[in-house]
Formats: sequence, structure tokens, C-alpha cells
Amino acid sequence: MENFLNVIVSGIMTGGIYALVALGWVLIYKCSGVLNLAMGEMTLIGAFVTLSFYSMGVPFLLAIIISLIIGFLLGLLTERIFLDKLIGESILSTIMLTVGLSFFFKGVVQLIWGVDNYVFTPPVFSLEPISIGPILFKEVFMWSFVAAVILLIIFVSFFKFTRWGLSMQATADDEMAALSLGISARFVYSIAWAIAFMAAGVGGTLLGNISGVNISIAHMGLTVLPAVVLGGLNSVPGAILGGITIGVMESLVGTYVDSWLINTIGVPLSIKDIAPFVFMTVFLLFKPYGFWGWERIERV
Amino acid sequence: MSSTFLPCGKYHEKYSQDHSWWQTTFIKGKMIALFAVVLILIPNVANDYWLSIFNILGYTILGALGVQLLIGYCGQLTLGHGAFIAIGAYISSTLLVAFPWPQSFHDMGIAYPISIVIACIASGFWSVLFGLPSARVKGFYLILTTMAAHFITYKFILEQCAVSFTEKGNNFSIPYNHTKLGPWLVDSISDVYYLMIIFVVISTVILANLIRSRVGRAWIAIRDNDISAEVMGINIVKYKLLAFFVAGFIAGLAGVLVVINAHMFNIEYFEWFLSLWLVGIILIGGVGSIHGVIFGSIFMVIVMELLQTGVDYLSYDIPELLQQYQWHYLAAKLTNLSTAFNYIRESVFGLLICVFLIFEPHGMAYRWQQIKNYFNLWPFSY
Repeated sequence: MENFLNVIVSGIMTGGIYALVALGWVLIYKCSGVLNLAMGEMTLIGAFVTLSFYSMGVPFLLAIIISLIIGFLLGLLTERIFLDKLIGESILSTIMLTVGLSFFFKGVVQLIWGVDNYVFTPPVFSLEPISIGPILFKEVFMWSFVAAVILLIIFVSFFKFTRWGLSMQATADDEMAALSLGISARFVYSIAWAIAFMAAGVGGTLLGNISGVNISIAHMGLTVLPAVVLGGLNSVPGAILGGITIGVMESLVGTYVDSWLINTIGVPLSIKDIAPFVFMTVFLLFKPYGFWGWERIERV
Repeated sequence: MSSTFLPCGKYHEKYSQDHSWWQTTFIKGKMIALFAVVLILIPNVANDYWLSIFNILGYTILGALGVQLLIGYCGQLTLGHGAFIAIGAYISSTLLVAFPWPQSFHDMGIAYPISIVIACIASGFWSVLFGLPSARVKGFYLILTTMAAHFITYKFILEQCAVSFTEKGNNFSIPYNHTKLGPWLVDSISDVYYLMIIFVVISTVILANLIRSRVGRAWIAIRDNDISAEVMGINIVKYKLLAFFVAGFIAGLAGVLVVINAHMFNIEYFEWFLSLWLVGIILIGGVGSIHGVIFGSIFMVIVMELLQTGVDYLSYDIPELLQQYQWHYLAAKLTNLSTAFNYIRESVFGLLICVFLIFEPHGMAYRWQQIKNYFNLWPFSY
């Protein structure tokens, strides 16, 4: 029972990190209708920027704030230089543009920082696990969970109550109608990219505190996709819930199914990594828009 | 009305003439010249390096044909096509190497054709399996399920199942005397070249004819508006799955070529990059056009080769030259920078895709059509 609880809690905590990265995907999709495949590389850039400032001796919180500012500027720049030109083109072109961007970012990051694994020295969060009753977890997981919840509250209220948030939702829903109501689509898109870059920066920083900052963080951007789909591509609470569901599922499958496969069946397979993808594919057959995605009602 | 531009005074008298492939003498001559170049000139003139580049081009075209069918003709966005190529490659090579064929099968050259056919059919059905969600979802959500196809194939089938259930694992070479198609032993690079030409021509002809048949019209109707297509009486699930099967089958052929070009199966080739690269090809070449597949493949393969050559040049040839002139300091600097050049290559590649999408959004096939129109209508283009 204690073991089970531990597995669940560690799943929820990992899910918090998934949720952070998933938030970036959802934000860009919600505001501009673009599936951003450069998300992993954006996370990587955020992590590296924070790390560089932290190793220069800047306090951790200040380093995060600086990386948020740089992320904001980079987001604006990326949107203005690349994506601005493709407004009105087919969705696939835009997706492919983000793929091109991901190669570009990856090359630049490797050029500047190389492929080595960097760690935050001195460590920001204590390595001693925190224990609540029988449950043990690391401090950094707790903080990322807290960050995910705080960001959830910020973004939900941003989209519900502020002028910018509402105009973003309007643009994503129907660009033409939004333009005729006096919303500047260009402004909305650049803000969306800026915010997504910032969210990715926070996610990347926390990820980097767990296993070090290296190029593999970029792959994380893709592995969180099932979490995004589960919640629905344009729902902020969905991203969080999806992240936690996928985290819990991964840790349950990793603990119980994999050991069952090895010990009872005798097959050395690990289905922990692909379980979310299988689950996602089957799930989409029954609920094509995730839990909270907008169902598009089509009329001929 | 014929789709090609007829010269003055030439008229069609039958409907079948309107639909024939090669309508004018000029086009006939052009195509025969093309075949002569491809079948006679290139194998005689090109050295092994260039032939292997042509082989890469060949399987890139085959892979991109499948993606073009799914995205450009049937409107099913896919970002996991590399998975189906991988399945074709893996099954064909494992069957050939690990299956206990009787020695006479190898001698008569039956084992290899059988494993090719089985591999293609398997990758067709693997593709249908991941196309199943297309009955319910479309657009982004379909992209995600095809991405799942990649992760499941790569991370589970190739990385784990291949290692734990077969002795060969996921990185093995294929004996040269096994790849025998009937009496024809495919062992040198020029043999692979001819095999590649056969595969590419057959698949292109079949696909081009499928597209102008009833099946193809159904696909195009689904692409343009699937609800209207359903109202018109097209069984959209059936046709979508058929598109996935055909695309997967051609991907299987591509996989066979990937393996035989190097005479080995290497898991690293089938990274997710492959799927992205194929989609990039059809976007650069032009969506919804078979010309686009060929132009896009040529462009991407040549760009990749040129970038690689540039990197090699900068990191080996120029330093050597500098050494001769006693500029040891600069030469050492350049050699040290060789990893940096690789990263620069990667970002230049990304930038090229972006620039192409921004400045030529309709693709190269569209530009080709414009050029042809210009010369057809010259000198009075109004």
C-alpha cells in the first residue's frame, strides 16, 4: 500500500512537469491555431539561458526572471521574423515552419553550449527527499507541481478575464471575425509566442534541475504530446490534468506492468515509454477532441 | 479539354486521347530522352558515390510519394511515415536473414522477393492500423496519432522487441549472396540503382494512374471536403484506409531500398527526422502533385549533400591547403571548429526550410508550371 501511494505521488509530481511543458503547446495552439513542433527546443533554450545566468552567480529567482524576459523577446522576434509571413497560409506549412525552426534552434543551441550535460551548481533545490508520512518525494518535484498550479491559475484567469486573453481566444476561433472587431491578429500572435517561450523557459529550468540540462530536454517536448491530447489541444486545465494522468499512468505502468512482464512472463520489455502513446491513440478513437478540446461542429 | 498544351493545328478526336499520358511528339521525345539519361547515361558515367546518392534520391522519392498520397491527395496529415518505412526495412531484412529458408530458396532467388512482398504488405497494414483513428479524428489530432506510430515503432518494436526476440537485434548487415531476385544477384551499387529505378517507375506509374481513377477521385473529394464526399456516397473510412494502405505499401518498398543500398539494417536511419524530412519534401516540392515529389526530393537530397560537402571542405580540405602554406595556426583553428560546422549545417538546413516556405509557399511544382506556361504562351502571354 505504501509502495502504491509512493508510485501515485511520484506520478503526480512528474505529471506536474509534463503539465508545464504541455502548457506551452496549448498556449500557442489556443492563441494562434498552430501546432508548434519547436516546443522542445524552446524549452531547451529557456533551460540553458537560466543555467548560464545562474552559473554566473545571479540568484536563482532573478535568473528565472531574466530568462523570462529573454524568452519574451525571443518569442516576439521569432514570430515577427518567421511566422508573421505565413499568416493565411495552410496549416501544414506553418507546422513545417516550426519544424524548420526546431532544427535552427537546435543547431544554434549546440553551437553555443555544445552537447555536454550541465548541472545547476550549487544545486538549487535540496537533494534530500521530503517525507510526508510514508510518502517520499524530491523537493524539485514539489516545486514544479506548485509552479504548474500557479501558472494554471494565472493563465486561466488571463484567458477568462483580461482583454488580451479574450482577444486571443477570439483570434483562434475565427481570425476574420476577430479582425473585423478591431483585434490586431499580428499583435495577438506575437504575444502568444512570447508567452509560450516564457512558459517553456520555466518548464525547462525545472526540468534541468531534475536531470541536468542537455539536448535530451528537447525530446521531452515531444513526449508530453499525449498529455496535451488527453486534455484537448486548447484547454489549459486540460493540459494540467492530462499531464498528471499521463505521469501517474507512466509510473504505474513502469512499476507494475514492466516488472510483471519481466518477472512473470519473462520478457525483458519496457512499455513505460510507449504506454502514453498507445493510450492516446486508443483514447482518440472514442473521444476525438480530448476531454475539453473544442468540438468543431462542421457544416457543409 | 486536354490538360497539356497542344501545338497549333493538332486536335484530339477521341476522349481517350485527352487522357493519354504522352500527348505530343515533343513530350514523347522528352520522356524517351529522360529514360535514356536515367537508364544508360547515369549508370555509365556516374561513379559509385554519385550512384549511391541517386539511390538515396530513389528511396526518398518512394517515401515522399506515400506522404504525398496521404497529405496531398487524401488530406490525411501524417508525421509518422518514417515508421512505415522502418517496418518495411526491418521485416524485409529480418525475414531474409533470420528466417530458416531452405538453401535452395536462396539459390533460386525466391527468398528475397517473398520477403520484400511480405514486408510491403506488413508495412501497409501497420500503416492502416495507425490510420484507423482517421475514421474519427482529423487535422492535428491525426498528426498526433501518426506521431504515436513513430514512437511505438521506434521505441518499442525496433529498440526493444527487435533486441529481445531476435538474435540479430536492430543493427545487422545482410550477406551479399542472399539478396537475389530470381537469377539476378543484387550486390553492387549499380544493381541497386537499377532496382531502385524499377521500384520508382512502377510505383509512380501505378500511383499516377490510381489518382486519375475512381479511387483517386474519391481521395481528392475526401481531401477537399470529407462531409460532402460522404454525402456523395463515398465510403470515406474505406477510402482513407485504402490511402493509408497504399502509402504504407510504397513506404515498405522504400524501406527495402534503404536496407539494400547499404546492405545493412541500421536503426539510426529511422529517427523521427525521417518523417519530418519527407513532409518537408512535399511542402517544398508542392502539395498535391507528383512532380512536386520528384522536385522536392532532388532539392532536399542535393541541399543535404552540398551542406555536407561544404562542412567536409571547411574542416578537412581548407586546413590541408593552409598547412601547405605554413599557416598552422589557422589550420588548427579550422579543424577544431569542425563540430561547430556540423551544428551550423543543421541550423542552415532548418533556415532553408523556413525561407523556402516563406518565399515559395506553393512549392517548386507550381513554379515549374509557371515556367512551362511562359514558354507555351511566348511571346504573347495574354
